[in-house]
Amino acid sequence: MAEFLYLYRGTEPATAKLSPQQMQEYMQAFQRWIGELAAAGRLGACAPLTPSGRTLSGRDGVASDGPYAEAKDLVGGYTVVTATDLDEATNVARGCPFLTIGGSVEIRPVIDVAKPM
Amino acid sequence: MSRGAAHSRVDSLFRRESGRILAHLVARFGPHRIDLAEDAVQDAMCAALQTWSFGSLPAEPGAWLMRAAKNRMIDLARRDARTARILPKVLPEDQAQEPPTDTGPLHDDQLKLMFSCCHPTLAPETQIALILKALCGFSHAEIAAAFFTSADAVEKRIVRAKGYLRKSRTVFDLDNARQVRSRLPRVQQAIYQLFSEGYHSTDATAPVRLQLCREALRLAELLVADPSARTPSTQALLALIHFSSARLDARIDAHSNFVLLADQRRSEWNAEHIALGFQFLRQSAQGDEVTRFHLEAAIAAEHCRAESIEATDWEAIVGLYELLAAQAVLPAIEINRAIAVGQARGPRAGLDALAKIEMPVGYPFLDAAKATFHAALGEHVMAAEALAAASASARTPAEAAVYRRQARGIK
Repeated sequence: MAEFLYLYRGTEPATAKLSPQQMQEYMQAFQRWIGELAAAGRLGACAPLTPSGRTLSGRDGVASDGPYAEAKDLVGGYTVVTATDLDEATNVARGCPFLTIGGSVEIRPVIDVAKPM
Repeated sequence: MSRGAAHSRVDSLFRRESGRILAHLVARFGPHRIDLAEDAVQDAMCAALQTWSFGSLPAEPGAWLMRAAKNRMIDLARRDARTARILPKVLPEDQAQEPPTDTGPLHDDQLKLMFSCCHPTLAPETQIALILKALCGFSHAEIAAAFFTSADAVEKRIVRAKGYLRKSRTVFDLDNARQVRSRLPRVQQAIYQLFSEGYHSTDATAPVRLQLCREALRLAELLVADPSARTPSTQALLALIHFSSARLDARIDAHSNFVLLADQRRSEWNAEHIALGFQFLRQSAQGDEVTRFHLEAAIAAEHCRAESIEATDWEAIVGLYELLAAQAVLPAIEINRAIAVGQARGPRAGLDALAKIEMPVGYPFLDAAKATFHAALGEHVMAAEALAAASASARTPAEAAVYRRQARGIK
């Protein structure tokens, strides 16, 4: 078993057009999906992120506000799941309701530093 | 509170709160800022959606949304005021004050907006579209689905209606009892039409059907809670909606088909709604005004208190329909009166009554009613012919399917 990080990209443009009824349905579907991951013993850390933040860069650690990504690339949240391989992690992510409202889910294998590669 | 209503509280959180919060922002910041208020509500709800999707809701999600929307509104209005070179002196300072509740100012705000939406210069369908959009949180597409029209057409209607709202700086004044009374019939009519649209929807599978009925009930309850709007006719309207709501579930079977009154299981009718229906019908009986809501509620009450179709006091229902026909000549009333005559005095009398009705083209209910009486008399060929005619003039495929299924049942 290995860990995979799901990054939810494009939260703002995906949710901005939803009607209250669609929001209701989406929220319930997402909560259900997260609940299913937990019930299946796959769920690790999981949280939403604000669109704002701060970036430090360079030797001097110059601080600048915001991640400055385009709205469609901005990460709105993340989830860590357990799966046997990238294919399984991809299949699990296919059930994510975020896809139904036009968002994208990026799947990144987490390297287990204790294991020889 | 009925089980159905309690369920809808959790179920339609975003829709309900969007209406409540928008009404509050419009009352507070002025109808001319309705577009800004809509943006503020949408932004607050998007923020909530993102957070709540990952975990549980706060203890008071409504209060959370209200605070977020108000803060956003103040931001947007300041920005708007600067660009318009108007000093933002109308902006309130109390960002963290009063928790929103179901009664008091918030409830009034919704009523004020509802009365504003029912301005006499707006056509009835425009008033309803605006109410659904502003107070019930329906999208243009959802309104279009409810009224069998296009989202574009709805959008045009809403834009026109909001043009009127934007011209005024204050919402309807509920303290002016005279004005409340003079606009009340329009508001009642809008709620009645909202409910009818849901109740008589020809598509049993459309989820919007139940939503319209629930929203109409909620708005009628708001109306009854206001001292100036709580007239006998308002109480009669609420009674009618309760009686009809009681039968909503039993009218649809497990396969999403409509169930005829004769085949409905009366044990499935909701007893709480029926009890509330009788309560408001009793309260509506003060004064000497008898509105169509009184008569329709009384007819629904007759059905609700009868043990079966046979045990129903059909002569009383015939009498009520005659009073109703004296107020307004409508095809639906004429047909229902004739059906009641047939139930009271036999299928032949029913057919005679139906024969006297002149019907607009493309209205299937007359033929459908004839079919029922022909079938009761054993005239199967004529019943089948009538159902074929009804099916041909049905307004939707789902409606045509109902008649075709009935026709198969006769053979």
